[in-house]
Amino acid sequence: MSTFENVYLAAFKASLQAKLEYKVDLVVGVVTAVLLQAASISFLWIVLRNTPALAGWNGREIVFLFGMTAACLGASEVLFNQVWLLPQYIVAGDLDRLLTYPVRSLWFFLLTRPELHAFGNLLTGAVCIVSSMWWLHPPWFVWLGLPVWWVCGTLIYTAVLVVSASLSFRYVGPFAQQMMIAHNLLQASRYPLAIYPNWLKALLLLLVPFGTFHYLPGRVLFGKTAALWGLGAAPLATVITLFIAHWAWNAGLRHYESSGS
Amino acid sequence: MTRRQDLLADLGTLRALFVCAVRASFAYKPALLMSVLSAGFSYAIPMLVWRHIYQANQQGQAIPARALFPYLLIAGCLNFAFAMNVEGRIGQRIRMGLIATDLLRPIDFQMAQLAQALSDGLFNLILVLPIFGVTLLFWRSSALPRDAAALLAFCPSLVLSFVILFAVSFIFVQASFVTYSGYGITAARNALQLTFSGLSAPLVLFPPALRAVSQWLPFRHTIHTPVSVYLGWIRGVELWAALGEQLAWAVGLLLLGRFMLARALRRFEIQGG
Repeated sequence: MSTFENVYLAAFKASLQAKLEYKVDLVVGVVTAVLLQAASISFLWIVLRNTPALAGWNGREIVFLFGMTAACLGASEVLFNQVWLLPQYIVAGDLDRLLTYPVRSLWFFLLTRPELHAFGNLLTGAVCIVSSMWWLHPPWFVWLGLPVWWVCGTLIYTAVLVVSASLSFRYVGPFAQQMMIAHNLLQASRYPLAIYPNWLKALLLLLVPFGTFHYLPGRVLFGKTAALWGLGAAPLATVITLFIAHWAWNAGLRHYESSGS
Repeated sequence: MTRRQDLLADLGTLRALFVCAVRASFAYKPALLMSVLSAGFSYAIPMLVWRHIYQANQQGQAIPARALFPYLLIAGCLNFAFAMNVEGRIGQRIRMGLIATDLLRPIDFQMAQLAQALSDGLFNLILVLPIFGVTLLFWRSSALPRDAAALLAFCPSLVLSFVILFAVSFIFVQASFVTYSGYGITAARNALQLTFSGLSAPLVLFPPALRAVSQWLPFRHTIHTPVSVYLGWIRGVELWAALGEQLAWAVGLLLLGRFMLARALRRFEIQGG
């Protein structure tokens, strides 16, 4: 590993170790993240009490979507959570220091504030995915695909957050509500997209492609379509969203004005 | 000064706090738009799920569509209006030690925070009015109070539900005395509120186990009770019982919050100099 890569790893490890010093926070964070996921699952429970399936997806298949969403959310929070603080950094002029470092500013910025409650989301996601796979007995190769879709989902979600956070460079203010829209869209993708109106379906597959890392592969895996391209849509969407995120970040930095005194 | 003058002075201070907080909320206009959009998406998800279920099978549902969807829309509007930043505001003051100066002020800390929370509520209520207008366009009379009596009973129910949610948040925020991050506190209260308040579905649609738990918690009185009163689902003796329960929860939780704060402050240390 080159020294350059070591800098990122060392910065991440140092930030994680600092966070792990707060043991009560770790426990509270994990428990509450699990509680939040349980709140969503309780809604699914209510829904499935009133209907056996949603658009042909049964409860076990929907649990797979829930699991993938929670796991990607958790991974993004543990690795790249600092993006949520970008608006505050811009207002306070705190990006100045980062921009003087000999590093790629976006990745260094993202990596240096892991969030402890992420472990609760990762745990819930893993439990949901494994339970769903256990019940559904998918072919063996699915177990190989899962890590790929998980990584893709994490990167897609983070890239969308970076794009929405970059709006703060132009519309300066200490608010992160635009990122909550991205977050809520991720939550919407926990249900089969077929239940949504066409505009929302198109939004979640093309513009904010959260449907590519679990819904499209799920359709193939659970025998709802024979079109195999759904298995490979996530890597393509990842490359495109990462490219757009880089562009948005760089365009935003060109607008950045320090708050200096 | 007489007691009456003291009371008037206190109310004047609370009013000033309220006005300042409302002004601060209106300062960032793009954030307002984004927050309405974001809330719109989050409330649209359960509605779209229910829409699909009702389109697939209109018959045999426990509640007809013309009752369910106005309920969900009004519940969403209410929840948005109730989005108070109590955990963020008080939690930060506890963690930074600023609560020390708050406690020196000649005004009750809990009531001052309630005044600020009321300003959050009023501000959110203004934002949510256009969404309520759309609700009326779609559902017309189904989204209106059943009659004048329902509207009349809804007013105290609304105030009490707000106070209950504030009091619950005030209790949860005491955890800031032992945690560094505020996320867990907000998220824990939020998770319970989402699950048991009846925000995503009326309690009659809940599985029996979930409904039984919700009966023992205050959260159903923050959304399900006021919306049921508004829509006229609760009437007569049941209505008085519901309002009585809300009042008991509101008073009980406020007192519990005061007690917990007093206990926590006894062993609270602030770095000074």
